[in-house]
Amino acid sequence: MRVKFNVVLIFTVLSLFVSATGWGKVYLDIDSPSFHKFSIAVPAFKDLRPLAQTDNLTIWFADELSRCLDITGYFQILDKKSFLEDPSQAGITAEGIKFDDWTTIGAEYLLKGGFQVNGREMTTEFRLFDALKGELLVGKRYVGKPEDKKTMVTRFANEVLFVLTGEAGNFDTHIAFIKHTGKAKEIYTIAFDGSSLFRVTSFNSLTLSPRWSADGRFLAFTSYKDGNPDLYVRDMKTGSTKKLVSSTGVNIPGSWSKNGDRLLATLTRGGNPDIYDITVENSVMQRLTRDYSIDVSPVRSPDEKNIAFVSNRNGSPQIYIMDADGGNVRLLTHQGNYNTSPAWSPKEGKIAYEGSVNGRFQIFTMDSAGGEPRQLTFDAMDHESPAWSPDGRYLAYSVSGYGRSRIEIMNADGKNIRVLYEDKEGCQGASWSPHKK
Amino acid sequence: MKKGMFTFGLALLALVFAVSFTTGCAKRATMKEGTSVSSQEQRIAPQTSVVPAQAGTPTDDTAARERALREQALREAAEKAAREAAEKAKREAEEKAKAKAAAIMKELQICDVHFDFDKYNLKPEAMEVLKKAAPAYLKYTDYKLVVEGHCDERGTVEYNLALGEKRANEVAKFLNDLGITKDRIKTISYGKEMPLDKNHNEEAWAKNRRAHFLLNR
Repeated sequence: MRVKFNVVLIFTVLSLFVSATGWGKVYLDIDSPSFHKFSIAVPAFKDLRPLAQTDNLTIWFADELSRCLDITGYFQILDKKSFLEDPSQAGITAEGIKFDDWTTIGAEYLLKGGFQVNGREMTTEFRLFDALKGELLVGKRYVGKPEDKKTMVTRFANEVLFVLTGEAGNFDTHIAFIKHTGKAKEIYTIAFDGSSLFRVTSFNSLTLSPRWSADGRFLAFTSYKDGNPDLYVRDMKTGSTKKLVSSTGVNIPGSWSKNGDRLLATLTRGGNPDIYDITVENSVMQRLTRDYSIDVSPVRSPDEKNIAFVSNRNGSPQIYIMDADGGNVRLLTHQGNYNTSPAWSPKEGKIAYEGSVNGRFQIFTMDSAGGEPRQLTFDAMDHESPAWSPDGRYLAYSVSGYGRSRIEIMNADGKNIRVLYEDKEGCQGASWSPHKK
Repeated sequence: MKKGMFTFGLALLALVFAVSFTTGCAKRATMKEGTSVSSQEQRIAPQTSVVPAQAGTPTDDTAARERALREQALREAAEKAAREAAEKAKREAEEKAKAKAAAIMKELQICDVHFDFDKYNLKPEAMEVLKKAAPAYLKYTDYKLVVEGHCDERGTVEYNLALGEKRANEVAKFLNDLGITKDRIKTISYGKEMPLDKNHNEEAWAKNRRAHFLLNR
């Protein structure tokens, strides 16, 4: 997966040109409750070779871009049937476009593009226009191999999101999860858009709790492959696996430090389940909790000054926050009798978690400073293990019930729920990778 | 006819001697090997000197060979019978040992003990089960025990791994208090990963919240 990506990186990118007003400007606050979706038209691309015949690719580019923008939940993709423009007459630059044709049908934005294939080389051009102002917001030219076309599309989709929302999209990110295969459980990854399903482990044993490192190079996880639930780190670039901790009892990873030198973990070490901060280089352990209760699932705050975790020290599992050195423990969740699996938003002081409501687990978010929880899921299914996207705008989580099991993604406000992966045998857990570097 | 039989008997007797003699010789020769200068020479010498002397006429030779074969068959049958008897005895001993081991295993067997939801404290009935099981472990000290901690499906993977560990540890501690040394008890948590009953109801959950026991030697 990484290797393939590195090859794709070879293609060249040229900024066609960017309008002075467009670059970096956040057009709308997508996180505001009054946000309405960007209405955008994505007509068929043009084959830029002289006298080119119409090609399937003209439709493919438009459809793939539409699909990518649609799954972000921020766009209303206009129906092709409503288009007024005559494709044979129109160009793909501002001079060749009658913007009235687009504003008349309600388009605020227009995405145009073209491509040409010369042997083993493909050149593509993408342009995003503000249809109301009739000006270019961002344009890119990519040169690569024909098989890179999907990556070119997702790259430009990220550009569109960056220009319109101030944050690049998540098309270069992957969600790690556990897939059941017979009696075994193995780690898989899948891209944000539901493509590129990839099997990471083949231990033919129980493998659980994948956790991406902050640079996306490593995955920490627990596996029973040698009998005991030990903690491993997989280098996703080389595919090599290193056993990091194998103390008596359970060894479960929590979140990594930003520079990748330390890993939070739950270890029992023959005694009680407690939280430790471990150096990845030589497994030096700093014990952070000493309570005679279950302390588990540690996650760092974005500034790494605090750690949220689960403890049953007052009877039932609840979410607590402590200082990074284990001091100053305070209870976060006051409602419900079973709250676990905290995930700290990378962008805001928000914590997502799962809580039991009428015997079913639902996803909640809450300010890390406390306050009222906000319930995001409501179906009579179990919604578990929430994981934030790197921009903090989405949550991935697992859903199970009635013999069904899947990984879903929703916007941080609970809207735009999308099935990322579904499996009859079962799937669980989720960890969201950072952006590709 | 009777005379013929007699001669045949004599010849057979002679052959028996010859066979026993040669084999005996061979044996002796072999036994001497260690002390002789040339073992090769020693082995060949008795055969060239003894066998032709006893062989007699060509007809005698055929009869002797037949008798030798018959004798060999008899000997093999006897050996086979002895071997079978030994095997039978061994098998019976094994079965007896197996039965004894099975009886011990049965004595050492501990039924699953169950827990309340999100709890790891031992219930009175669980304590009863462990108290009844402990004496056998004090009697048969060669056996070790693995205590598996399991949970029902509700809650996170991680919390349940920790909870299963707490359950296994509680059981191990109780058994240790009953006199079974710590080095004989290993614990492992499977959290909610290995349910006995895959249904999603209270009945299944109650079955799945368990400590399960495995014997180790």
